[in-house]
Amino acid sequence: MSSVWLPCGKYHQDYAHDQGWWQTPVIKGKMILLLATVFIGIPLLAPEYWVGVGTMVGYTAMGALGVQLLIGYTGLITLGHAAFIAVGAYTSTLLVLQYPWPPFIVRWGLAYPISIMAAGIVAGLWSVLFGLPSAKVKGFYLILTTIAAQFITVDFILTQYVSQIGGRGQAFSLPPGTIKIGPWTIDSEVKIYYVMAVLLTLVVIVMANLLRSRVGRAWVAIRDNDIAAEALGINIVWYKLLAFFVAGFIGGVAGAFWVSNTAALSPEHFPWFWSLWLVGVILIGGVGSIHGAIYGSMFMVVIMELLQLGVIPLAEYYPKLLIDFAYVKDMSFGLAICAFLIYEPNGLAYRWWQIKNYFNLWPFSY
Amino acid sequence: MELFLMTLITGIMVGGIYALVALGWVLIYKCSGVLNLAMGELTLIGAYVTLSFYEMGLPFILAVVCTLLVGIVLGFLTERIFLDKLIGEPILTVIMVTVGLSFFLKGLVEFIWGTDTKVFDPPIFSIKPITMGFLKVSPVYLWSFILAIVLLIIFVCFFKYTRWGLSMQATADDETAALSLGVSARFVYAAAWAIAFMSAGVGGALLGNINGINISVGHLGLLVLPAVVLGGLNSVPGAIVGGIIIGVLQNLSGSYLDQYFPGGVKEIVPYAFMAVFLLFKPYGLWGWERIERV
Repeated sequence: MSSVWLPCGKYHQDYAHDQGWWQTPVIKGKMILLLATVFIGIPLLAPEYWVGVGTMVGYTAMGALGVQLLIGYTGLITLGHAAFIAVGAYTSTLLVLQYPWPPFIVRWGLAYPISIMAAGIVAGLWSVLFGLPSAKVKGFYLILTTIAAQFITVDFILTQYVSQIGGRGQAFSLPPGTIKIGPWTIDSEVKIYYVMAVLLTLVVIVMANLLRSRVGRAWVAIRDNDIAAEALGINIVWYKLLAFFVAGFIGGVAGAFWVSNTAALSPEHFPWFWSLWLVGVILIGGVGSIHGAIYGSMFMVVIMELLQLGVIPLAEYYPKLLIDFAYVKDMSFGLAICAFLIYEPNGLAYRWWQIKNYFNLWPFSY
Repeated sequence: MELFLMTLITGIMVGGIYALVALGWVLIYKCSGVLNLAMGELTLIGAYVTLSFYEMGLPFILAVVCTLLVGIVLGFLTERIFLDKLIGEPILTVIMVTVGLSFFLKGLVEFIWGTDTKVFDPPIFSIKPITMGFLKVSPVYLWSFILAIVLLIIFVCFFKYTRWGLSMQATADDETAALSLGVSARFVYAAAWAIAFMSAGVGGALLGNINGINISVGHLGLLVLPAVVLGGLNSVPGAIVGGIIIGVLQNLSGSYLDQYFPGGVKEIVPYAFMAVFLLFKPYGLWGWERIERV
């Protein structure tokens, strides 16, 4: 909710108006246009491949929003968020596959929606467990406990024990038609995209509302100076753990959604790389803004897809390129993070803000 | 009892290598306050560079010395290209630059050397164990330990007695005061990175000697994190003791706990230990406790 440029002669009259979502008709129109593009434009007009890319963007954005909440708004640096996404994904899968639901729930297609909620809660609690050291330590030491969360959860518990449930070896797979929401079976790219779009919208709404409430202000106070925050009467341990819970919850929802996309699950889907990738995404998008997380994921996913598209014609002349491409991708991602941090430390969200201001202040925009 | 002693000795010896890598880590932290998450990739590069020199026909010790030189060059380059511009930026920025760097270096290593496991061929040390009383120690471990200890002593002496080492300590203590006394902070950072590159590289080369070199040597950099935390982030002796403790812990858990928790427990125990340890002693054994006020 940064500064909004109101037309001449209009002022905010009360706090509710100051914190309102849609402050001018122009903003309202823009947002409706955006929602229309997301919910109608892309799924109906875009080719299936790009709808799939959109799904990927949404998944990344959901994961990145959790990281954004922890790093960008509460100042708790986390490098193990993939663990919580994994916990959510496994909770959801195990509930759908193994839990003896009463028949009417399966018939009405409620098993998956319930499992999404359960995944969020379980992942949130798991996240709180590893957030506990944050009561005493911060900064680097906290980074290390989140790294510990990643390795203990994914490389040990999930790989060694959870993956063995039901005697499936390493990978779970969901039979087609298992994932149902109400009367709809989620089985095509467009349907998966809609699940993503609805979940992402809900997550964004929940997060935006949390951030402009008392809770969100407490988080920002902790980020800016935790000792001052404590002196102001904020119970910092409670709010830090709450931040871990909400971030874990969002991660769990993202993981539960991911199951509907891949219909298969193995610990390799959640490497440490993915945790770092999510942090990279919010750095590129802009730390401390919700739309920053979304711009970042759009940028990273779309750029990688475009690189891939660019490589395929070249591969005819230089076949080794297809193998080496994965490495080049790693390298370019690393360089992108470095370059953004050095030359554009506020991320894409800041650039967007500048562009907006340029038009808002036109013709005196200098 | 014999098993216990054997695992203990092996643990201490592997711990020596960890200590070497952890030392580089602590140096960077001490001099510039940066948590270097690219440490694993530094070990990886060191291992592959040594291997390349070795395959060119240099003897192992000479290859290690050449790796040290390459490490210096790479350390200076890294500092000049990436970290130079970040003096005075928030700490998250600098940490994330090292993450970006780790992606970049990892991709580079895979691009140049591929992902297959490579071994030193012909092997440098004989496989036949050295017998000391009832103890049997494989020469690889023994020589690695000796080399690690020698390098540790050299680095510690450098840090304590030379002019450069002293100016690094001064920068670590108070950057502004050191700057006003004519110490070049840029040079100190570069030197810290060069030393980190060197020690990590040799650690990687030694470890690669034991298990063969592939991309997983890079996990060593993460494995020393618990060691560093245990000793305290800014304590050189802490890094050494922490490295040895983690080595012992890992080996003991490998031989005693593996039957109860099959698979992977060896990799996890240091992290679990660290997560619990931080709850009780948040600054490690010898870390500086930070006193904070508004």
